Amino acid sequence: MKITNEQLKEMYFTMLKIRKFELRASELFAEGKIPGFVHLYIGEEAVATGACANLREDDYITSTHRGHGHIIAKGGELNYMMAELFGKEDGYCKGKGGSMHIADATRGILGANGIVGAGHNIAVGSGLAIQHKKTDQVCVCFFGDASTNQSTFHEALNLASVWKLPVIFVCENNGYGISVSQARHQAITDVSVRASAYNMPGITIDGNDLFAVYEAVGEAAARARKGQGPTLIECKTYRWRGHFEGDPVVYRPEGELEAWLKKDPIPRVEKYFVNNGVMTEEEIKKLNDDVDKMVEEAIDFADKSPVPSLESALKDVYSDIVEEGRVR
Amino acid sequence: MASIGIIANPASGKDIRRLVSHATVIDNNEKINIVERIVLGAQALGVKKVFVMPDSYNMGYRVEDKLNSCNELKCEINVVNMQRFDGMEDTVKAADYMEKSNEIKCIITLGGDGTNRAVAKSIKNTPIITISTGTNNVYPTMLEGTIAGMAAAAVASGRFDESKYKIKDKRIEIYKDEELIDIALIDAVISNDVFIGSKAIWNMDTIEKIIVTRSHPASIGFSSLVGCKEIIYPEDDFGAYVDINSGNEKIKAPIAAGVVESIQVSEPVILGFNDEYEFIAEDRGIIALDGEREVEFSKDQKLVFKIRRTGPFHVDVIKALEVAQLNGFFKL
Amino acid sequence: MKKMTYAEGIREAMRLKMQEDPDVILFGEDVGKFGGCFGVSGDLWQEFGDERVRDTPISEGAIVGAAVGSAACGIKPIAELMFIDFMTVGMDQLVNQAAKMRYMFGGKINLPMVLRVPAGAGIGGAAQHSQSLEAWTTHTPGLKVVYPSNAQDAYGLLLTSIDDQNPVVFIENKVLYAMKNDVDENELKPIPLGKARVAREGTDVTIITYGRQVYDSLQAAEELAKDGINAEVIDLRTLFPLDKETIFNSVEKTHKVVLVSEECKRGAYTGDIAAIIAEERFYECDAPIMRVGALNTPIPFATSLEGYMVPNSKDIELAVKSLF
Repeated sequence: MKITNEQLKEMYFTMLKIRKFELRASELFAEGKIPGFVHLYIGEEAVATGACANLREDDYITSTHRGHGHIIAKGGELNYMMAELFGKEDGYCKGKGGSMHIADATRGILGANGIVGAGHNIAVGSGLAIQHKKTDQVCVCFFGDASTNQSTFHEALNLASVWKLPVIFVCENNGYGISVSQARHQAITDVSVRASAYNMPGITIDGNDLFAVYEAVGEAAARARKGQGPTLIECKTYRWRGHFEGDPVVYRPEGELEAWLKKDPIPRVEKYFVNNGVMTEEEIKKLNDDVDKMVEEAIDFADKSPVPSLESALKDVYSDIVEEGRVR
Repeated sequence: MASIGIIANPASGKDIRRLVSHATVIDNNEKINIVERIVLGAQALGVKKVFVMPDSYNMGYRVEDKLNSCNELKCEINVVNMQRFDGMEDTVKAADYMEKSNEIKCIITLGGDGTNRAVAKSIKNTPIITISTGTNNVYPTMLEGTIAGMAAAAVASGRFDESKYKIKDKRIEIYKDEELIDIALIDAVISNDVFIGSKAIWNMDTIEKIIVTRSHPASIGFSSLVGCKEIIYPEDDFGAYVDINSGNEKIKAPIAAGVVESIQVSEPVILGFNDEYEFIAEDRGIIALDGEREVEFSKDQKLVFKIRRTGPFHVDVIKALEVAQLNGFFKL
Repeated sequence: MKKMTYAEGIREAMRLKMQEDPDVILFGEDVGKFGGCFGVSGDLWQEFGDERVRDTPISEGAIVGAAVGSAACGIKPIAELMFIDFMTVGMDQLVNQAAKMRYMFGGKINLPMVLRVPAGAGIGGAAQHSQSLEAWTTHTPGLKVVYPSNAQDAYGLLLTSIDDQNPVVFIENKVLYAMKNDVDENELKPIPLGKARVAREGTDVTIITYGRQVYDSLQAAEELAKDGINAEVIDLRTLFPLDKETIFNSVEKTHKVVLVSEECKRGAYTGDIAAIIAEERFYECDAPIMRVGALNTPIPFATSLEGYMVPNSKDIELAVKSLF
């Protein structure tokens, strides 16, 4: 598969944005700046990045509760994301969604989602709309290993296959459904084998290898754009943090995280860049500094954004109805 | 009676070739079924101990549980005690453990060409029986587990003339600065791909050269590009290489499951056991070994390819069982 | 005046919208060549073909989800569930996704989808094919809920629902499907949501109802008239948005209210309307606000039990009389 150095650098830039956004989100949550639940994507950056690098602005994605990475990879802007995490007026959802519900329909981001497995069927709907309009768009549906035990997984893969919809099901197998390891939540190791039950191709790849993800989703997207139907791609990866920030993570066997830290997708790309003359170490350092700055700017933007007005709580339930508020 | 080893690669049979070609899907539950039948076949003919490579799906333990629950386990199943990395290194390490063990006299592998290549990195003397559960299966064969278990028992018994069934295979050795950096059992493919990525290789556009230990039209994968011009048998004391997209003759060859490509291939150049093929890279690229992108090289790098009969010993299962039968192995 | 069945009203509205707008599609279980379990989609498949009238697998989650996803991506799906009872299978997509997406996303997405759901008892469907679950939908901010009682309204309300930018749950009463009503051809046009209809004018008591109970209420009103009680009957037509203006105008005139629906009374939407009247027009009422509904049981199968469990015109009559 052909790829230019510019594309490679763009992907690396995306991975850095995700990593650094998430690291700072973790700190800000601990400081009490971010309320609610935050599920971080650290360690899984290669999946969202490699997948979305194959997408156009008019393609769609559905995401999960662990959605920051997908949204950044699909072009979401850090300022509006951070403002949303802060619950501020300039956030993507005007402070009404929070971490788990960031969406940007103008970029085809059909929303992070607080319900495990809910994105599967929404992605099918997106595929249906694409098929109806006869365009060559695609929808990438991101989900975790645990969501493949929801009925929606079966419903969605079945219907997507029956209707040959342009949906790429990208499973981020990070080994856990909250605290329950994959071995304890399903009697298979490779989610990809479920694809054969729906008569669609299913493959397993190293989800911490940016190139592997890029290539596999690229092939699946090409297939989908030609009207050849859906694909299931299982990306083996690992979440470095707990299920949510504040999770004491009592369930990991000793040494497991350490083994995965060695498979960190970001240094793998950096090593490749240096070895192959894509970027020098100085250029890498500079880009890291630039992204650090971007994230700090996003935090500053979020800080300065006003808290939403109380009246705004009543808006956006419907396109055309605003009910009366509480009198105080 | 000595023991046998089983290396079942949990990752075989699910790579990107299910997407870009029409390759078979083999899930791990099917591999468990096969391992079960190996154990049942082997224990019936006297094997007392079976060593199994550990893997993320715990195939060894699952087989033990399953056979215990139906009261059919008569031998001991030992999952090798080693640290797992859930990658190819597990296969290499488990094979190394089994090679060095004094008890294990035959190893059964479940995988494709890639799996057996990993085993071959560690194995020198212990004979292997290969069951194909992979994608491109030139080296391993379609084989019923029960029969493989019985043959392994016959081999491990040490009672028969091994020259009747044991065959030393060829391999391709790749040297960089006179250091052996990697091997392949069937083919090495030089491509101008720029990254390893999803490992498998299938795209003809990027391929420049193919080096083979053997070649046949009946061999799925890139070695068939040579095989469709010239057949080289496992027992021939030479291999060959060809240039792709060069020469003026187009041939058709089964480069992947369900993919028969038309391609220009140069006349094969025979590489004898005393020959060396020197490759100097014009640009960066990748070498795929037995179907998987493995080795990155940079511009101007010099690599040397040698074909030698330094591969593993494999067991001709049919011959082994024939020898066993002639010597009364199946009599109660 | 022309005669039209309730089912025809729904079908003709779909036909017109599908003719007008190529992005309107219909899907659901057996809506294609089979014509719908209750025959509602009829010949639409013959007219619009496989791509626009799609049979789905029996996967209610996927049916509702496909409506949500496709509406979010710019088409106008009409999804049919065979029974409102099956809505429970697709409830996450309806309640957590469809109803909340616009709000969660800060108002930056439109969901022009209609979910058609046949409801109600009366055909021996027993506990899992007869429920009246409208309160589950009216309880959920973000959904609009429509419940027509006749062909003319079904037609006009569905035209509006399909064009609405919000998810609309369009509840159809399956006993009414075959009922023929007079329709005014000059009035076969969109009816705005949130506008109730005064089905019978009266001065002494306001009966607020919708769906099949409109007919029971009208019958009760005729009986009551014989006893000198002149009842006003309001057909809500839309449950949300609720036409409070029409309700309050009537209450201010009659000062007595009886609410009627087929829901079991516990947690019924009529309770919510009663509370609204109590909160906002308590001093207009000179009698307790009464409710008539089904008993608090699952719907039984035997015809005799089913008939006992669901309210009829006699129950309405008794409730009204208790106020005088």
